[in-house]
Amino acid sequence: MAKEIGKDRFGDFYKDGGKVRKRREWRGVEDTLYDYSRWLVIMGTLGKFMMKPRNVKAFFRYRWMANYLAVPMMVDRHTQGLRGEYLRICHTEQDLIIDDVAKLLDNLFRGDRRTGNDTEFSKKVVLVDENEMTAVMMGFPTLKCLSRETPSTYVSVLLNQHAAEHYIDVAQEFGLAGDVCPMPEAEAGVSIDDDAPVLGACAIQCNTTCDGSLLGNGVISRRLELEDGIPVFQLAAPLRHREDDVQEYAAQEIRNAIAFIEKHTGEKWDWKEYFECAKRVNYATRCRQEWLEMNRTPYPQVFGSNLALYTETNYMAICGRIAAFEKADRKISKLARQAYEKKKRAAKEYRHRAIIWGVQSHYYMDFLVWLLNCWGIVPLTDMLSMVSTRELAETDTPENRETAIYDMAWLTENMIMRNRTHGGYKVLLDELWEFTQQFNADMVILWEHMSCKALTGMHGMFEDRARELGIHLVWVSHDLFDPRIISRQGVRDQINNYMRTVMREEPIDPSLEVLHDEESW
Amino acid sequence: MKDLKHLIYFEQLLLEANNELIRQAREDGKICVAYTCENTPEPLMNLPGTFSARLRAPRTGSMEVATYYLTSFLCEYSRALLERAIEGGYSFADCIITPDGCSMMNRCVENMELLKTMGKDKPKFFYEYMEIPMKGDDNGLNLYVLQCRNHILKPLAEHYGIDISDAAIRKAVAEHNKVCELIRAIGEYRKDEQPRITGYEFHILTLATYACPKYLLIDKLEETLEELKTREPDEKFPYRARVVVVGSEVDDLDFIKLIEDSGAYVCADRFCYGSLPGRDPIVLTDDEDALTQICRQYMQRAECPRYMDMPKMQGRRQYVADTAKEYGADGIIYEQMKFCDPWAYEKMLGSHILREDFGYPVLAVDRPYSIATSGQMRTRVQAFVESMEIKKIQKEGVANG
Repeated sequence: MAKEIGKDRFGDFYKDGGKVRKRREWRGVEDTLYDYSRWLVIMGTLGKFMMKPRNVKAFFRYRWMANYLAVPMMVDRHTQGLRGEYLRICHTEQDLIIDDVAKLLDNLFRGDRRTGNDTEFSKKVVLVDENEMTAVMMGFPTLKCLSRETPSTYVSVLLNQHAAEHYIDVAQEFGLAGDVCPMPEAEAGVSIDDDAPVLGACAIQCNTTCDGSLLGNGVISRRLELEDGIPVFQLAAPLRHREDDVQEYAAQEIRNAIAFIEKHTGEKWDWKEYFECAKRVNYATRCRQEWLEMNRTPYPQVFGSNLALYTETNYMAICGRIAAFEKADRKISKLARQAYEKKKRAAKEYRHRAIIWGVQSHYYMDFLVWLLNCWGIVPLTDMLSMVSTRELAETDTPENRETAIYDMAWLTENMIMRNRTHGGYKVLLDELWEFTQQFNADMVILWEHMSCKALTGMHGMFEDRARELGIHLVWVSHDLFDPRIISRQGVRDQINNYMRTVMREEPIDPSLEVLHDEESW
Repeated sequence: MKDLKHLIYFEQLLLEANNELIRQAREDGKICVAYTCENTPEPLMNLPGTFSARLRAPRTGSMEVATYYLTSFLCEYSRALLERAIEGGYSFADCIITPDGCSMMNRCVENMELLKTMGKDKPKFFYEYMEIPMKGDDNGLNLYVLQCRNHILKPLAEHYGIDISDAAIRKAVAEHNKVCELIRAIGEYRKDEQPRITGYEFHILTLATYACPKYLLIDKLEETLEELKTREPDEKFPYRARVVVVGSEVDDLDFIKLIEDSGAYVCADRFCYGSLPGRDPIVLTDDEDALTQICRQYMQRAECPRYMDMPKMQGRRQYVADTAKEYGADGIIYEQMKFCDPWAYEKMLGSHILREDFGYPVLAVDRPYSIATSGQMRTRVQAFVESMEIKKIQKEGVANG
């Protein structure tokens, strides 16, 4: 038990076959107390949630709800080894995300025909995809923009690595080929299993990241529209999003989506609210830019899975609509500056500076924490955090109202992941090497999500370019939502093998090299 | 039945990507526009002075180099094309135009470009990538028109001085329609109770119209149509059931043959490289420019699963049911190439809907690019044929009391 960073053998915290770790981490009096107080806050959030009878009912109705028992453990996984400002940054991000997801669940069950059945509330709900940019909801302050897929599949897998397996199996038993991406596959499985809350005045689907997500929506919309009677608008975002000659198409889709929402909810688009949200989006962009700027120096502060998860939530799911995230941005920036000025580091030893590219494994999001603690590989930034940095028009003028339509279209086209998996090889391949140079990285950890065709379709070119540039390229294969294909240890072994055989290095913390966490949350 | 006079000729054409007619058209001084996806309007690539060739990789063997670049998780069609491109098998092309129809096709062509597989000795060679609509609406039409103008017509005019006027497009449509009408007329014979053309023979003819310059095929297709008018069908229908094949890209000669060898007559072809709806003639009027009319008809008739709006999704399944009814099918075979995302989903939903809502027996299979003599596939088709026969017998039993 040690106060100093890196004194603990983190592997000793795991127990064979256990879902949770043996004990909490001792971080010194101040940090342990802080961490424990945050743990209590999380328990309070969960407790408050379960006080409502409709939520208890939902807990037993929806299979995936059981995964939410693992919330505190998820935070613990991401705070491993953190002290001082790093610990506080992590909690600021994660606790806010937890609070946001708890509210999302509460709202879903409030309107759900099977549990809360608040019909008046349901009329004010617009359903959106899990991986969808919510820009089109920025001007509807009185409506609730809710995603059913976020809690049922996306967050569930972050909490419990085995959460999606049942739904993947359901989809395959129904006849879906086993080689498609498990994310839309699991979402389709939830729909086939009829295991999603039923509510809403209408739904907005989008061709988000890939062919799989586009087609998976077809399964969901069939149930929504034909069985549940909830009208669905398919928002088609162009794939070649960097091209000028697709922007008018994208903008018209936004206009059509807004008109569809107005028609089905009776609400009117509010420009004042939109521009307020746009200001918050711009602020979040500036903060993210500042953090990334720090990460180019020897003293990165906001990085790893925290950066990825927070960016994904704030940039895409929130999109300026919730003021609490602006407050969190401010707090995180302040803590980061503070640590940067003191030249603080998050781990005992920094050996390699890495760009994390590709689509990360959802069942092992804390892999980046492991990289740092086990091998001293600093995950400076990742593909999902390298999103649009374009500033939105934020003053309400007639010209800006027209610009705003194009801004929303741009954000929708550039939602997380799709801004790299679509748009041609320049955004996926060429820009990686530019980032490698900008961040002074000597290593690229390339998540090879095996069923992501857009990514694996550049496999050979990644290899060729890395060889030309003399960058260490480490492939980490995984199957996104399904640890039965490649386990967490299987993921780690790919790094272990590279570091030992190619780099000829020894781990900083050997206890982390092999972990028996097959059953762990 | 007596063999079709030109069948071997057509089969020979399909054994090479760089076939005899492509060589002849190039000797005629025509520009070869290579393409990979059915969503690229063909008449726009068959303007005076150009001809289109939809890329295939017949007699594909090893795909090791392409598998290194694309991994084994991409469909074999995209890998086979890349492998052939790396081998220099598409040196006849003067440009390549591809929409982002699916991620795999996009990556395949991007790798062709990055690896400089084509156009080394052709300074005017170009690669063009197009955005195509995902919904059948006015916004989609505007996009389609703009994209065809910017990524097909303009580059052809700028690089090769091709006439892209409305008159030139109309001329191309007329030639395109001639081929479509011939294929359609030949295909009509598949509706007969005693068909005078096999599904395999029809597949060969249709496939040739995608892979060869159309204007060089017309006389042989006309002769074949004439021949069919007097061709005597077999006295007894030699198959045990009639099926519609629905699904992803099929340019393999053996797949349809295998199905028919297993006892199922392929009476209709609703797949990429098939004639439904790929060989629907394009009807032009004089009150609107030809480009817009072509795009509208391509968009409206498209049966590609990348179209994501509800009317299109519902329409796809209705189209299959209508086709099955029109061609007197007993059952439907949904096929997808392994690793094809769009058809994986469409096959899953389509097979349930056609079975449950429309009452057709359905077989859903996935397959490699080149099926050759797959015992597994043969067994599955045979079992499907048997199941349809049993259902028929049971139905007849009920009808007879």
